[in-house]
Amino acid sequence: MSRVVVIGAGLAGLTAALRLARAGQSVTLATKGPGGLQLSQGTIDILGYSPERVTRPLEAIASLPDEHPYASIGADEVAAAVIWLGQQLGPELLTGDPSTNLHLPTAVGALRPTALAQPSMVAGDARSLSAHEQRGAAPRSLSAPEARDAHARSLSAPEERGGVSKGLTYAVVGVRQLKDFPADLIAGNLARTTAPDGTRLAANSAWIDLQARPGEADPSPLTYARSMDDEAFAATFARAVAKAAGKGDVVAVPAVLGIRRRGVWQQVQDIVGRPVCEIPLPPPSVPGLRLYEALLALVRAAGVRFIQGSHVTGFTPDGGRVASVTLAAAGGPRELAADAVVFAPGGFESGALSVDSYGTISEPVFGLPLTATDAGELITEKYWGPHPLFEVGVRVDDAGRPVGERGVAHENLYVAGGIIAGAERWRDKSGDGVAVATAIRAADHITGGAR
Amino acid sequence: MSQKSRDERAQGLRDRLNTELQRLSLDQCVKCTICETSCPVSAVTPLFPGPKFVGPQAERFRDGESVDHSVDYCSSCGTCTVVCPQGVNVAEINSLARAVMKAEDGVPVRDRMITQTVLMGKAMTPVAPIANAVLDNKLARTVMEKVVGVHRGAPMPTARTQSLHTWLKKRPKPTKAPTRGALVYFHGCAGGYFEVDAAKKAIEVLEFLGYEVLVPKQGCCGLAEQSNGLFEQASASVRRLVDQLRKPGTDLTIISTAGSCTGMLKHEAHEILGIHDPELLDVGTRIREISEFLMELYEAGELPTDFKPVNMRLPYHAPCQLKSQGMGTPASDLLRMIPGLEVIDSNVTCCGIAGTYGLKKEKYEIAQAVGKPLFDMVKANNDGLAACDTETCRWQIENSSGVETVHPIVLLHKAYGLS
Ligand SMILES: Cc1cc2nc3c(=O)[nH]c(=O)nc-3n(C[C@H](O)[C@H](O)[C@H](O)COP(=O)(O)OP(=O)(O)OC[C@H]3O[C@@H](n4cnc5c(N)ncnc54)[C@H](O)[C@@H]3O)c2cc1C
Ligand code: SF4
Ligand code: SF4
Repeated sequence: MSRVVVIGAGLAGLTAALRLARAGQSVTLATKGPGGLQLSQGTIDILGYSPERVTRPLEAIASLPDEHPYASIGADEVAAAVIWLGQQLGPELLTGDPSTNLHLPTAVGALRPTALAQPSMVAGDARSLSAHEQRGAAPRSLSAPEARDAHARSLSAPEERGGVSKGLTYAVVGVRQLKDFPADLIAGNLARTTAPDGTRLAANSAWIDLQARPGEADPSPLTYARSMDDEAFAATFARAVAKAAGKGDVVAVPAVLGIRRRGVWQQVQDIVGRPVCEIPLPPPSVPGLRLYEALLALVRAAGVRFIQGSHVTGFTPDGGRVASVTLAAAGGPRELAADAVVFAPGGFESGALSVDSYGTISEPVFGLPLTATDAGELITEKYWGPHPLFEVGVRVDDAGRPVGERGVAHENLYVAGGIIAGAERWRDKSGDGVAVATAIRAADHITGGAR
Repeated sequence: MSQKSRDERAQGLRDRLNTELQRLSLDQCVKCTICETSCPVSAVTPLFPGPKFVGPQAERFRDGESVDHSVDYCSSCGTCTVVCPQGVNVAEINSLARAVMKAEDGVPVRDRMITQTVLMGKAMTPVAPIANAVLDNKLARTVMEKVVGVHRGAPMPTARTQSLHTWLKKRPKPTKAPTRGALVYFHGCAGGYFEVDAAKKAIEVLEFLGYEVLVPKQGCCGLAEQSNGLFEQASASVRRLVDQLRKPGTDLTIISTAGSCTGMLKHEAHEILGIHDPELLDVGTRIREISEFLMELYEAGELPTDFKPVNMRLPYHAPCQLKSQGMGTPASDLLRMIPGLEVIDSNVTCCGIAGTYGLKKEKYEIAQAVGKPLFDMVKANNDGLAACDTETCRWQIENSSGVETVHPIVLLHKAYGLS
């Protein structure tokens, strides 16, 4: 058994820690704060754009440029990694098929491609009605017989809609108290949208007025979701939604259907009597928090030592190896001895990479070699245009160890997630898959492939 | 205090806050809401809008005036600072802003009184049975709530008939000669007066491991005064304690069983009271919370781990002020090595008491709501005992769950066959 220190509690760090602990390693997870999971949509993206919208992500991986983090891993390994994570979290939290993207509505009424989603979101997938019927996904998850009948009725025969065949109709229901869910905007934009299969979507909006905590004018999605953990409140919410929702195949509500209690979505759907889908809100993201809390609970239950609140600021070398990492704890530095280190600190957004006032890019903890060090020309004028700066990071060998001109930086130092160069992860929507697949690559190299 | 001197004090604190380097950390806030999702207080009451709002956001508007009085509902648990990935010192900014506000508005007598932990201990020890009876008396507690503002349901310590120092004086000298050198022991007010048993056991474990344990005369660290905005008093207390802990030698490791007081010495006095004395920094870097120290020994291969089995389930709660030291939860790691002991981590942020917060009648209900998941978890998973590293949290857990709650060292003492 070796001692492994994992740095970072984003998707990459948590996945690596869990995989290592499951393989019997003694793992310490050290992190400043939680990573990006609770800011995310609570889905697992594999590849969404390349640069056009991707519907079959595993197939699209084959045509990515060599620099992309996926290129050295391959589609099969990516799929296996994502499936493993899905199994760890269980079907109540993640469902879907890594080979096919879902297209789920966002809080501005756009469609967003993703591979695995929470079961409470899947009914929002903008596939054609017949696809919904074939897969039987929505009816299977309905339990009450009335609800099943209602759903069968709503799945009417394909009709024409303005010359193109008719797609899904969303009945979007907003909550007056939740300012970050603009139901009218969402419905308006969805109604202007053609689904990836060429069908034309339709949508309408409605509102309910329901306070979660007495005296609270401006709840966050999280405090609202916490109230849903109370069964009686969730039922009141569902009845109000059922009454207000317009005609449509799917009733779309803000993603506040519970945080700790599983099955809130099922309860709400049964009362509403039609398929219900959650649409994630801007942070704090309730679906993202569900994943974060569940993953952290698994990690801790697997016996991982969890140290939160301190930055890792440096390390002590021993020949070509990292002997220990330095933790800036209260009361002075502490050394964490390690046989191997998985460094999963994210990218620019989490401070893992920094740019100083001269435009010099650096990685401050290990001083790792980067694919570029001058930010000057990497930021382009177009705000929405590609910014090569975000592709800057660490280049790795087949084991996931950082390499520079002089070869491997440290024999026992592995990296995972956002620190790896080659993808503008929020643009091509590969960040989650990269985090999971590179975390598992690092963990498996440390354990020699042992599961 | 006169209005004028009050204004001057408030202005003094405001000037300090304005020039504190850590206040600048508010510019690092990217509004990610991570702190919001972790704050135990805003999770249970809409009276407190949460750390992001009250901290980095509202602080920009506190231009010579306390614009937002909801900062008083912050319990100073420190969780927001721990979780902020961008390094914003949210809790420290809140503590300072609250101190300014309290200086403007005046500090209630109640808040002055409940911070006097040593005084309470000294006064209660000789008359322990009487003091305990009074604190157990419903009528007395109702009067206390009405007159002083300490909630009748809030936990109160149990006074002991013998203080730690009396025991030290009376006990037979240790027979085994030390093999590993000397340590300084910091017991805190609780160890000295209320939880004498845990303090004795800590000393016995350290002696069993081969250390000579030096216990200097010591007072309070001032944490309770600090969290009630009484900064002058808190600074005087902590400076006095620093001198006392430096008496036995300035190169010895200092071991503490007072979890939150350790945090005061390691970082809070420096970051919140603004004390930059080299003596404080010296003590702050030499002090180790006892489980932290034992885990360091373990890491170095110097801790005997031939523990006797302790067959039971043990709910363990890592207190917020321990987690805010950024060292993980060493007691949990340590207890897991005892065969037969099934340690169940509470995974709850805070028990609600946050020092003296949960004693106050206007905050009692909030504190109980904060701790409820913890109390439920303890009730559901115990074999008659729970463990936690800080004293007021133990009293809170015991009071609200009905389950006896001890310092982790008590279990280690047992596992080494010492009890
Ligand atoms: C605005 C934005 C939108 C995005 N949208 C998407 C999207 O839609 N789809 C997608 O796939 N990807 C997206 N991404 C990319 C996203 O970053 C990745 O998907 C993924 O979250 C990266 O996970 P990670 O674990 O590598 O890093 P993170 O989640 O960033 O975690 C890093 C962790 O390391 C810790 N840490 C960092 N430095 C240290 C240190 N020195 N010491 C201790 N701890 C440290 C941090 O506290 C944190 O816990 C987006 C990124 C941004 C910025
Ligand atoms: S966690 Fe830090 S950066 Fe995020 S909102 Fe809170 S203070 Fe700001
Ligand atoms: S210190 Fe604790 S109670 Fe205060 S804002 Fe931060 S998390 Fe909330």
